[in-house]
Amino acid sequence: MHYRALFTLLFFPAALLCASSSEVEFNRDVRPILSDKCYLCHGPDAKAKHIPLRLDHEDTAKAALPDGKRAVVEGHPEQSEMIHRITAQNLGVRMPPSYSGLKLTGKEIETLRNWIAQGAKWQKHWAFIPPKRPPLPAVKNTAWVRNPIDAFVLERLEREGLSPSPEADRATLIRRVTLDLTGLPPTLAEVDAFLNDKSPQAYEKVVDRLLASPRFGERMAFRWLDAARYADTNGYQYDGGRDMWRWRDWVINAYNRNEPYNQFVLEQLAGDMLPNATLDQKIASGFNRNHRINTEDGIILDEYAVEYVVDRVDTTASTFLGITLGCARCHNHKYDPFMQKEFYQVYAYFNNVPELGRGMKYGNSPPVIPAPTREQQLALDSLNQRLQRIKDGIEQHARSLDHAQRAWEQHLKEETPQFWAPSRDLIASFTFDNKEELKPIGGAVPFVAGHLGHAAAFDGKAYLDTGMVPKLDIDDPFTISTWIYSDSTPDGSVVSQMLDNPKGKGYGVHLDHGKVQVDLTSVWVSDAIRVETEDTLAAQRWYHIAVTYDGSKTADGVHIYVDGQPAKFKVLMSTLYRPYRNAGKGFDEPLRIGAGWGPERRFHGRIDDVRLYSRVLSNDEISALGVGESIAAIAHKPAADRTGVEQRVIRSYFLDHAAPPEFRDAWRNIAGVQEEKEKLVRSFPTVMVMQELPKRRETHLLIRGAYDNPGEVVQPGVPAVLPPLPPGVPNNRLGFAKWVVDPGNPLTARVMVNRFWQMYFGTGIVKTVEDFGSQGEWPSNPDLLDFLATEFVRTGWDVKAMQKLIVTSATYRQSSKADPEMLQRDPDNRLLARGPRFRLPAEMIRDQALATAGLLVEKIGGPSVKPYQPAGLWKEISMQGLDYDQGHGADLYRRSLYTYWKRTVAPPMLTTFDAATREDCVVRETHTDTPLQALNLMDGEQFLEAARFVGQRMMKEGGSDADARLRYGFRLALDRFPSPAELDVLRSNLQFHLNYFANSEKAKQYLAEGESPSDPNLNPRELAAYASVASLILNLDETITKE
Amino acid sequence: MMDPIEERKLLLTRRHFFSRTASGVGIAALASLLQEDARATAPIAMPGLPGFPNFPPTAKRVIYLFQHGAPSQLDMFDYKPNLQKFRGTDLPDSVRMGQRLTGMTAYQAKFPTAPSIFKFAQHGESGTWLSELLPYTAKVVDDLAIVKSVHTEQINHDPAVTFFQTGFQLAGRPSMGSWVAYGLGSENKDLPAFIVMVSQGVGGTQALADRMWNSGFLSTKYAGVKFRSGHDPVLFLSNPQGYDSGARRRFLDDLGKLNELNLNQYQDPEISTRISQYEMAYRMQSSVPELTDLSKEPDSVFEMYGPDSRKPGTYAANCILARRLSERGVRFVQLFHRGWDQHNNLPKEIRGQNLQTDQPTGALIQDLKQRGLLKDTLVVWGGEFGRTVYSQGTLTDTNYGRDHHGRCFTMWMTGGGIKGGQTYGETDDYCYNIVKNPMDIHDLHATMLHCLGVDHKKLTYQFQGRHFRLTDVTGNVVHDLLRA
Repeated sequence: MHYRALFTLLFFPAALLCASSSEVEFNRDVRPILSDKCYLCHGPDAKAKHIPLRLDHEDTAKAALPDGKRAVVEGHPEQSEMIHRITAQNLGVRMPPSYSGLKLTGKEIETLRNWIAQGAKWQKHWAFIPPKRPPLPAVKNTAWVRNPIDAFVLERLEREGLSPSPEADRATLIRRVTLDLTGLPPTLAEVDAFLNDKSPQAYEKVVDRLLASPRFGERMAFRWLDAARYADTNGYQYDGGRDMWRWRDWVINAYNRNEPYNQFVLEQLAGDMLPNATLDQKIASGFNRNHRINTEDGIILDEYAVEYVVDRVDTTASTFLGITLGCARCHNHKYDPFMQKEFYQVYAYFNNVPELGRGMKYGNSPPVIPAPTREQQLALDSLNQRLQRIKDGIEQHARSLDHAQRAWEQHLKEETPQFWAPSRDLIASFTFDNKEELKPIGGAVPFVAGHLGHAAAFDGKAYLDTGMVPKLDIDDPFTISTWIYSDSTPDGSVVSQMLDNPKGKGYGVHLDHGKVQVDLTSVWVSDAIRVETEDTLAAQRWYHIAVTYDGSKTADGVHIYVDGQPAKFKVLMSTLYRPYRNAGKGFDEPLRIGAGWGPERRFHGRIDDVRLYSRVLSNDEISALGVGESIAAIAHKPAADRTGVEQRVIRSYFLDHAAPPEFRDAWRNIAGVQEEKEKLVRSFPTVMVMQELPKRRETHLLIRGAYDNPGEVVQPGVPAVLPPLPPGVPNNRLGFAKWVVDPGNPLTARVMVNRFWQMYFGTGIVKTVEDFGSQGEWPSNPDLLDFLATEFVRTGWDVKAMQKLIVTSATYRQSSKADPEMLQRDPDNRLLARGPRFRLPAEMIRDQALATAGLLVEKIGGPSVKPYQPAGLWKEISMQGLDYDQGHGADLYRRSLYTYWKRTVAPPMLTTFDAATREDCVVRETHTDTPLQALNLMDGEQFLEAARFVGQRMMKEGGSDADARLRYGFRLALDRFPSPAELDVLRSNLQFHLNYFANSEKAKQYLAEGESPSDPNLNPRELAAYASVASLILNLDETITKE
Repeated sequence: MMDPIEERKLLLTRRHFFSRTASGVGIAALASLLQEDARATAPIAMPGLPGFPNFPPTAKRVIYLFQHGAPSQLDMFDYKPNLQKFRGTDLPDSVRMGQRLTGMTAYQAKFPTAPSIFKFAQHGESGTWLSELLPYTAKVVDDLAIVKSVHTEQINHDPAVTFFQTGFQLAGRPSMGSWVAYGLGSENKDLPAFIVMVSQGVGGTQALADRMWNSGFLSTKYAGVKFRSGHDPVLFLSNPQGYDSGARRRFLDDLGKLNELNLNQYQDPEISTRISQYEMAYRMQSSVPELTDLSKEPDSVFEMYGPDSRKPGTYAANCILARRLSERGVRFVQLFHRGWDQHNNLPKEIRGQNLQTDQPTGALIQDLKQRGLLKDTLVVWGGEFGRTVYSQGTLTDTNYGRDHHGRCFTMWMTGGGIKGGQTYGETDDYCYNIVKNPMDIHDLHATMLHCLGVDHKKLTYQFQGRHFRLTDVTGNVVHDLLRA
C-alpha cells in the first residue's frame, strides 16, 4: 500500500517545476495547457481547418466569435465560453473533443479558470522575447555562492526549503571535471597534483589546464557532430563513403582556439559567403552539407533536391534556434506561430546551392573544394618555391641559353621532321609513322600522308584496335590530343575507350555532324556526361583537337580545344556518379581509334598523332601541341616572325634534347617538381561546402510539402514572430546567418547555453533542448537561463569562459550523493541540490577504457579509422556485400570521435550506448541502460583488450603485493582508493581467477583478445587473473558514470 | 529494461530493508543479501505503458515476414488471365495516367506488357488463386487474408522500407517493433521484446539499414535487437574464449557486490537498474543459445520447414526461430529476407526466392497452428512495394524484368484476429491501379495495432513538441480483415 504514497511523492517534483503559488502565470502555467490540448485545432493552423477561434493570440482568444460568444472574458470565468466548453457535461460540445484523444485534467481546468479569474493576463511566448539580464537574487546562505549561477540555483533551493550538498571530494571532482572538459579521465599524476595542491586556486588551475588542452576541442566536437549529423558515408540505400573529416577537424580546431560562438555559427552557416572567405571559412560551411545524400539509380532528382534543403532548414532550426520549424513544412505549425510560407522563406536561404538531387556513389558530391591540410599547404608552398628557384636559375643565364639555342638552330637540318610534345604522363601515343602494331578491325586502315608525317586513313567501316587498356576510371584525369581531317563534314568516333555503341560505358571523343562531342558514360542516360562544341568543324582541312578531363565527375571538369584554343561548348549531360568498374564489375575495353559509337558511326577520314595523357595538360601545352609544325620549320623562321607558341615549342624541344647539360638538368628538375606538385594536389582531401548559384533559384511554397506540388513563389525571409533581419545585412544566407547570431535574437544564446548545461547536468534548464516553442518545457530556472544567455553574449560569445563559469560554480562542484528525501523530492535533480550523476556518453566509455589501459593513441584529426567491430555487420545488410575493413595498429586506439561512421550500420558499441545515429540532427542526450551494454563491456574485444592492459599495468606499476596492485588498478579507473569492503571483494575475485586460470590453456585463450601483445615476461596465469579483475573494474557502474 | 518508476519502487523496498537490517549484519553478508535481492527483483519483464493494451487484444505478438526488395505480386498472387492477349503491347496511357516512374525505366521508350509466365490455380476451400511458385503457401491459403490493394507513394527501396518500418519515409522515427515494445512491453524477462533476423536471397539484393529497426526518438531499449547466425546470435553475447559461465557468474556476483556498495553511497536508482541489466545479460547468455540451438528440434520439424532449415541463418531456419521466439512470448519478431528486387531475369530469380521462402513460410503457419500459437500470433507477409506489369528491359517468351510499382501490391496477414480465407481489394486488368478497397501502410499499421489491442491514435510519444505516432496523421483499421 505504501506504493501509493510513494507515487504521490514521485510526482510531486513535477509540480515543483510548475505553479508553486496560486498566482497563475500565463507562460509558465497556461500556455503549456493551451498548446498541448488546444492548439492542434485552435492554433496557428486553425484557418486551414476553417476554425474561427484561435487561442494562440490574445486578441483572437478574447474577441467575439461569430456567434457573439467570447472564449475568454477577463476576470469572468463564468462568462467565458472556454470554461463552459471544457467543463460541459454534454460530450457533444465538450472540449477537447473525444475523437482527438486529448483530455484536460481537473487541475488543468482549475488553472485555466483561475487564470481567467485573475484577469487572463497574456504574455508573448517567453522564448521569443529577448532575454534580459536578471538581477542577482538575494540568498541567505551567501557563503555557498561562488558565482552568479549559484545565486540563481540557491534562491530556488531556499524557496523550496532545500539546501545544497557539500562539495564533492577532490578525487571525484577532478575526475568529473576532466571527463566533462576533455572526455578523458585524469592521470594519477594529475589527481595527485590536485590532491596535494593546497592553494585556494587549485581547482581553477585544473580547469584552466583542461580548457587549454587540445582534448577540449575533441570533447566538444563529438556533441557538435551529433547535431550536425556528421558521418563518413552518404546514407540512404547505397551509403557509400564521403570525406567530411576536414570539416570535423575544423570544428575541433575552432573549439580549441576558442572561436567565439557567433563566429562559429556564422562560418558554418555562411562561411563561403564571407568577403575574401578563407579556406577554413569555406570548410566550415560544410556544416550544411553533412546531410544524407541519395545516390540510388531510380530516384527522382527533384524529390531529393528538396529533401536536402529541408534537412538544412530542420537542422539549422534545431541546432541554432531550438525551434521545430520543420513542422511547418506541410502546413502551418500546429503549436508555434510559424506559417507554412515562413518555412519556405527560410528554405529559400538554403535553396541556392549548385547541386543535384543525386549524389556521387563514392566520395563527395558537388559543390566540393580541395581542402589541403596545413602540412599539405606547406609542402605545396615549398614545391612552388623550389620551382621558382629553378626557373630563376635558368632566367639568370637566359642569355647564354639563347646563345646556345641560336647556335643549335643554325645546324638544324630537316632529315626526319621532329615535333615537340609533352612527354610527362603520356600513357599512349600513336604517330602512325613507324609501322605500329595496331590491329585493323573490319577492313584495312592504311597509313598515308598525314599532318605530322603519316596518318591513319579510315573508310567509315574499319577502325584500329590499339590493344591497350588504359586503367582510367571516372575519377582519373586525362587528356586526349589528336589531328583529324575529313573530306566531308567530320563525323564519327575519333578516339575512345568504351563499349562500342552510342550508349556504351566509357569515355570518348566523337564528331557529330562537325561538332566535337565528349562522352563519359557510366550508365546511359541517367549517369553520364556529354558536352558538345558550339561551332562546327569544316571539311577538307586538318584540325587539332584536344580534350581534357579532371576526374571531377562533372561537366565542369571537361574542356575542349580546337587548334590549340579553348572551344566554346554546351553541356548536354552533366554528372557521372558511378565508376565504370562499379560493383566489382570489370571494364576492359581497349582504346580504339576511329571507333566507339558502333558500326554505324565509324570515322571517315584521316587521324594523326593520337596521344593519351593521364593528367590535364595546361593551356600552354595544348596550344603547343596545336602548332603542328616541325622544329626545323620553326627554326627556319626569323626569330621575330615566330609566334609566342612557336617560341615556346622550339625552346621546349631545345631544353628537352639539345641544351647544355646544366640547362637540361634544370629543365628536367622543373618537370620533376611539377609532377610532384600535381601528385600532391591530387592527394588533397576534398570537402563538400556550401556555394551560391550566381542567379537565385526560385523557391515555391510546396503544397503539403510535396516536391511535385509547387504553390506560390516565396522570397527569402525570417519568421515574423522573431526579430527582422538586422539593418544593413543582405537578404541572403549570409544575412540569415548574421540574423541568427545577432545579439537581439532571443533564441541563439539561450539555446546554446542550455545545451552546455545539458552536457554537465544531464538535462537542460529547458529539458526539451530541441524545442523552445510552446510545446517545449518551461525552464526549470528561467532567470538562470537568461543570466547565462546574456552573460554569453556579454563576454563576446566566449565558449571557454562559459564552460569555466559553469564548472567553477558551487552548483557543479556539489557531491552527487543523494539522501532518500532529496531523491523523492527531486529524482531528476532539476533543482540541483546535489551534483550531476549520470552514465557517461558512449564515446567517453570507450575512450576512458583506452586511456586507463594506456592504449589510447592521441592524434588530432585526419581521416576516420576503423577499430574492432564484430565481423560481418556491414556485409549482412549492405549493398553488394560491402564489408568492414578493420584497421590495425594505431587505428584501433584512436578516440571514438575518429571512428568511421557508416550511417546505415553505425559503430555498434557507440550506438548501443545511445550515440545519435547521425541519420539526422540530434541534440538531446540520452542515457539508457540495457543488457546489450553489459554484454558489450564484458565481452567486446576492445574492452577485453583494455582490461588486459589495465591488468598488465597493475602488475607492472602497482607494486609487488596483490593488495597494492588491486588498489592501484581500482584507482586507475576511479581515481580513488577502494574501501576495505571493496578491497575485500577485489581480493577474493582475484583469488578466484588465480585458481580459475591455473588451467594454462584457459589463460592463454583469455589473453588472446585484441591485437596488441602483452608483455611476454608476465606470468599468463597471473596476467589473466589481473585482467579479469580489471574487467570487473571497467564494468563497475561507477566507472561508466560521472559521479 | 525496467521502467524507472518500477525501479524506484524497488529501490525503496530495498532501502527499507536496509534501514531495518543493516546494523546487525556484516558487510559481506549484507552484500550477498542484496545480491539475492537484486536477482529476485530482476525477473520482472519490461512493462508497457499504463492503460495498454487499450482493449482486449486478439494477438499478443507479431511475426512479420518482410520480403525485402519487393516481390512481384503479378507472378505470385494477383492473377490476371486476361493479360495474355496484351502480351508485348505497350501499357496504355489510360492505365498509366502519367504516373511517376523510377529513374530506371523513365527513359524507356516502350512499356511492353509482360503477363506472368507462371501458371495459376485455385486452392483451398476459399478457391484462392495462387501461382505455381507457392505450393506450400497454397496449403495454408484458407488461413490467410490476402490483400491485393496495398499501396505506397514510395518508389525507391530505402524510403519505401523506411516508410513500412516507421510510418515515414525519412530517417529518424521509431520502427513499428519499437512502438509495440514501447506500448506493450515485454512478456519475457530473458529476451528482448523486439528481435530482428536477416537472411540472404538469391535475386537482386538491396541494402537494409539499422534504422529499419531502430527506436528513433524512443529510448534505445525499445530498439530491435538483431539476432545473427553463428557464434554470437546477439552482439558480444558469448564470454571470451577461456572464460566459462561459472567464471562469469562469479564475476557478476562480485560486480553486484561492488555496485551495491556504491548504491549504498549514492542512493541512485540507476545503479540498481544497472545491476538488473547485467543480470539480464547473464540470463541472455544462456537463454539465447538455448533458443537458437535447433539441435533438439525433431527431424519432423526440419522436414516440414524444408532442407534449408538445418542451415543457420537461412530464411527457413529463421522461421523456426520465429516460432521458438513466439513460444517464449517475444512481442515482435521480424524477419527480413533479401533478394526480391527483380529488375532483370525475374522468372529465374523469383523461382529461386520462392524455393527459399515458400515452404518455410507455409510450415511456420502450420507449425504455429499445431501448437495453438496461431490464434494469438499475428503473422504478416509482404515487401515494400510491388512490381510493374510492363517489362523492364527486353521481353522474351521466357524472360522479363519488372521495375518498382507502388500503386498496388499484395500482402497477406494471418493469425491472431485475422479472418482467413479471404481476398481483400482488387486491382485493374493490368494490375496497375487499385479499383476496390485500397489499403495504405498506415492502415496496415493501424490494423496490426488493433489486433494487439492498441488504438493507433493513442500510442503516441511527444517529441519536438509533437505527439508522434506510428500512423503519423492517418490510418484506418481495416475491419473487414478481422474476425467478427
